[in-house]
Amino acid sequence: MLDTYREVVTPEGVALHLPAAGPVPRALAWSIDFVIRLGILLVASMVLAMLGAAGQGLYLVVLFLIFWAYPIVLEAIWSGQTLGKKALGLRVVNGDGAPVGWLPAITRNLLRTVDMLPFGYATGLVASLADPYGRRLGDMVAGTLVVHTARERDAVPAPINAVLVPPLALQPQEQGAVVAFGERAPLLTPARQVELADLAEPLTGTRGQSGVLRLFGMANWLLGRR
Amino acid sequence: MRQEQFVARYQAEWQAFEHWLETREDLRKALSERNTGDVGDEDIPARYRRLCQQLALARKRGYSPVVTARLQALMQRGHNLMYRTPAPRWQRAVEFLLADFPRLVRSEAGCMWAAAALFVVPLVTMFFLLQWQPELIYGVMDPAAIAQAERSFDPAAAHSKLGRDSGSDWQMFGHYIMNNISIGLRTFASGLLFGIGTILVLIFNGLHIGATFGHLQQIGSGDPMWRFVAGHAPFELTAIVIAGGAGLRLGLNLVAPGRRRRSDALVVAGIKGARLCLGIAFMLLVAAFIEAFWSSTQSIPAWIKFSVSGVLWTLVFAWLWFGGRNQPGDGDAP
Repeated sequence: MLDTYREVVTPEGVALHLPAAGPVPRALAWSIDFVIRLGILLVASMVLAMLGAAGQGLYLVVLFLIFWAYPIVLEAIWSGQTLGKKALGLRVVNGDGAPVGWLPAITRNLLRTVDMLPFGYATGLVASLADPYGRRLGDMVAGTLVVHTARERDAVPAPINAVLVPPLALQPQEQGAVVAFGERAPLLTPARQVELADLAEPLTGTRGQSGVLRLFGMANWLLGRR
Repeated sequence: MRQEQFVARYQAEWQAFEHWLETREDLRKALSERNTGDVGDEDIPARYRRLCQQLALARKRGYSPVVTARLQALMQRGHNLMYRTPAPRWQRAVEFLLADFPRLVRSEAGCMWAAAALFVVPLVTMFFLLQWQPELIYGVMDPAAIAQAERSFDPAAAHSKLGRDSGSDWQMFGHYIMNNISIGLRTFASGLLFGIGTILVLIFNGLHIGATFGHLQQIGSGDPMWRFVAGHAPFELTAIVIAGGAGLRLGLNLVAPGRRRRSDALVVAGIKGARLCLGIAFMLLVAAFIEAFWSSTQSIPAWIKFSVSGVLWTLVFAWLWFGGRNQPGDGDAP
């Protein structure tokens, strides 16, 4: 239940990685959308107020569109992202990882009615906490999933230029861990760097600052800097 | 093969694919510009499959994350492109309305008849009950609502519009769209509560409409009331019943999924319901249009209104009954 990472095998036989998004970023995205929708309504009401009774009718049509059509249309034509989801780096995808189509977008947004019950998306919150992939009821019925879009992390310049060949052949996951250490350790405090590097003592053979430097060297080697 | 050799051999392919993605990924841009790159648009599926195979190989052989992560990223971008939503087409929309929607409704005939019964039986019962026991109305409706209904359909009133106190046609059009379509869509969605939501909505709507009709008939405002509702009833009442049927199907698939997993059964009913909702929204849009611009016109004589209503009822039933009958259907494909 803690692992929200979902792997889906595509028809081509390779696995797609779908990191499912939890309720908090989704609620934030929804609030951003809510503010945007309110803003549109405010502007529309000011413009349409000048048209009198017909304007009032048009305002209600706009209200209808903003309420029902805004999320459906944006998700269907804009690769599964409303403005709020875009801001939070979220995306709606089909359960099989394909971009979300019109019908699933319609289903999941119509069923917000149920997820909103009895107040403030309480049903949706319970459902998404109970589901391993954080889906609310509408997502389950539509067969969709909200995922984090992979953040393009800039290649952090290596803190040192040294290159060190690992003393033993590493498994892919171990290589991944060392490379990730090389990319992310510069963002950590020195004490935390040492603490993490000490865990890799069987690999580096030392402890303390020299272990950190050795891991950086191995990360450089694994990244192909020779 | 060692990783360096692997990369050296296929590097050029990956770069070409990446370049194509960068220049041609955006559909609108791709349609307006000619493809001047080395890779033709028609080669992309084959190249994408090749990339997938290379990714699988790279994983199997345990190449380092530098290679696999890059291939993975390329693959995901390609995947999103290959399987993206096709652009909607107008002809398809017309086909859907004329043929697929009636076919969908007929395919759920059982749920539709059940929804119709849940709606019509309380309506008719309430109507006749009120002819016999008029004071019952105060048990079902709020006095303010009764007074408003009486004012709207007062045969002696001087105001020129039927069925409303005030408000222009356009204002009411917006009001009907917002209200009625929302009610229709909610009728479907509340089916997810084991169907109970839909059943309650149908019964309460039936009771409420039956009570209003029965009361107005009983106090002698029947004529303006029937003239008002005759026009849009064919679309509005049918749409509510269809929404109810779709909601019942959703609830039923949750309660009794049959030989499918419960989640799969829900997905089937949900997608079907979404398609039905498209048609329902269209029907309610037509109903709102009629209600705002035709039903409320005082000057049209009763016989025209009732004939038009008869024609519309016939049309709606003929549409739902015969629509798409003799064409090869696309079954459940979206």
